[in-house]
Amino acid sequence: MSDAVPEPIESARADGRETLTEAEGKALLSSVGVETPDFEVCADVGEAVEAAERIGYPVVVKVSSPAVTHKSDWAGGVGVAVGLDSESAVRDAAVAIFDAADEAGVAADVLVEEAMDVERGTEVIVGGLRDPSFGPVVLTGLGGVFTEIFEDTSHRIAPIDRAEARSAIEELQSAPLLSGYRGSEPADVDALAAAISAVGDLVSDHPIAELDVNPVLASSDGVIALDALVVLEER
Amino acid sequence: MTLRQLFDPSAIAVVGASATEGKIGYEAMANAAAFDGPVYPVNPSTEGELFGAEFVASVTEIDDDVDLALLCVPGPAVPEVLEECGEAGIGAAVIYASGFAEAGGQGEELQEATVAAAEEHDISLLGPNTSGFLVPGIDLRCSFASGVEEIPEGNVAVVAQSGGVGLVLAFQSRRQGRGVSAEVGLGNRANVGFAEAIEYFDGDDRTDAIVLHVEGTDDGRRLLEACRESDTPVVAYKVGQSDVGDFAESHTGALTGDHELYTAGFAQYGVPTVDATDDLLDAAAALGNSPTPDGPNVGVVTAQAGPGIIITDRIQRAGGRLPELTEETQARVDEILPGITYADNPVDTGRPMPEFGEIVTAVAEDERVDIVLVYELFEAALGYPVEELDGLAERVDKPVLFATEGIEEDLAGQRNALRDAGIPVFETPERAADAAGALARYALLNDDDALADGGVAAGGGVLPDAVADEEVSADE
Repeated sequence: MSDAVPEPIESARADGRETLTEAEGKALLSSVGVETPDFEVCADVGEAVEAAERIGYPVVVKVSSPAVTHKSDWAGGVGVAVGLDSESAVRDAAVAIFDAADEAGVAADVLVEEAMDVERGTEVIVGGLRDPSFGPVVLTGLGGVFTEIFEDTSHRIAPIDRAEARSAIEELQSAPLLSGYRGSEPADVDALAAAISAVGDLVSDHPIAELDVNPVLASSDGVIALDALVVLEER
Repeated sequence: MTLRQLFDPSAIAVVGASATEGKIGYEAMANAAAFDGPVYPVNPSTEGELFGAEFVASVTEIDDDVDLALLCVPGPAVPEVLEECGEAGIGAAVIYASGFAEAGGQGEELQEATVAAAEEHDISLLGPNTSGFLVPGIDLRCSFASGVEEIPEGNVAVVAQSGGVGLVLAFQSRRQGRGVSAEVGLGNRANVGFAEAIEYFDGDDRTDAIVLHVEGTDDGRRLLEACRESDTPVVAYKVGQSDVGDFAESHTGALTGDHELYTAGFAQYGVPTVDATDDLLDAAAALGNSPTPDGPNVGVVTAQAGPGIIITDRIQRAGGRLPELTEETQARVDEILPGITYADNPVDTGRPMPEFGEIVTAVAEDERVDIVLVYELFEAALGYPVEELDGLAERVDKPVLFATEGIEEDLAGQRNALRDAGIPVFETPERAADAAGALARYALLNDDDALADGGVAAGGGVLPDAVADEEVSADE
């Protein structure tokens, strides 16, 4: 691993921010080999439409602003619009975000992203943090809306290799969901283990306080990070 | 820093020694006086003798090579006394007083001053805020607690965060007839913490297993690394399923508590964990008196069905597995005892009988068995198969555990014969099963191939394709 500070962390630092935007977080994950959906950060409605055309419908449109951490709770729910399958739908969603941002007086872009079929896989959380006593640690568990309901997670002291990451997955009560459940195809557990190991490396190598990749969509095609929250250590 | 001067001193100074019974300075002197080497009572305001030794005014006035000072002085006096200890060339001190970092505020400042004085003179500190330590094998009892002279020598080092829990474990070990190689209450861990203690006892000839009582430490990673480095098996009891940290922003933060990290970390670094003081000593008795098991497969031999059922039921929950015995072993068992009640695992002979030892040997020699557990109610006419069991574990290179019940006075002689032969003996089917489970977990946690066998977790093995062996563990 290089000691160089990755660009997304550097740019957040340069802005005086401790929280990376989703786009920066995904770029960081992508830099260590964790796949993310195709996305673009757009400064106006026109750019958003062009991005959607390039990416291909359906797309997801989300608010992109350092001032907004919990996007789906923001501004009465306009912060995240899913399943947009036409130019007009993208336009409406983008307009709603920019209007709400103006009203709230926050600087915001929109993130236009390839829509993923979450029915085609299992939502998993992969996370990392720097614990005061143990230092870098990683976590994996059942993701998405079930994360905090079931608290089905397992932890490891980072860094870890893929075999150790795999043992962390094996410990989950929900592990059978990944092994092919009621005729569904088994998820690519090796790719998930690689992603957990990569997140462990990120937290070990860089000044990251907390990192959530939730959800990670794990399917037979691999794993893909659908959201990313990265909080840097205070300086 | 070596802890040799602390745990194996040439001579001892008891600073603040007192002739007044009931005072810490008296009780500490009374316990220390049994030590083989010289013990000097130090007190500038007292003259005469205490336990046959002449009072001196200061450690700097002792004309001897003193390694260890027991500080029976109030907290605020400690930094100054340590300065004198440094001058006198004393390399280790036990600080019994409380009111240091654990009290916050001025106590924290006092602890900082204490550590600074110790570091200037390269002094290892046990405490502050501790009941001290014991090394029964050399009659070294640096504790003010009463009754500690009755704690026998064993081969398990007890390293407790709390001096009180350290004594709880030491007294329990006596009641169990086992004893300790050392009992240490770390207290505030001013400059001797878990890592230093583990490292020392790993190199201690009297110690074959180390047990930890952990409440919480600010350097968990170092503790884990010391456990991994230790060739001596370590078992841990982490107390307190405490709250999660102050993380607010992420799910990860909200889902990551101290307890999760200790549990996961100990497992990751090869340390079985338990949930009770009894279990801690049972696991240590099994690990400290046995060859290292190669795997989690337990072969059970019982003379009575019911206890055997309890054992087999419990072993699986405790992390062990019950393999089917090889056909060869089953035939051998059948040959020894034709028409035996149950010839597979567990082997149930139905009652104690002269051939019981032969059956145990057959199961111990089964290649599918990594750990042997024997249960038998005491039968006065037959006794235990001491002769067959003596040396069996070493010969087959597997742990052999024994559990029994009966009239205490009747079975004591035979039981002691088993213990003298180095066989770990347990009092109930459950405790024996849990100890076998701890051995099984130890084997899995310390086996590099364990993941390929389906992992350690109860739900292990559900995932498709075992991971390829291509990677060397990043943290080894």
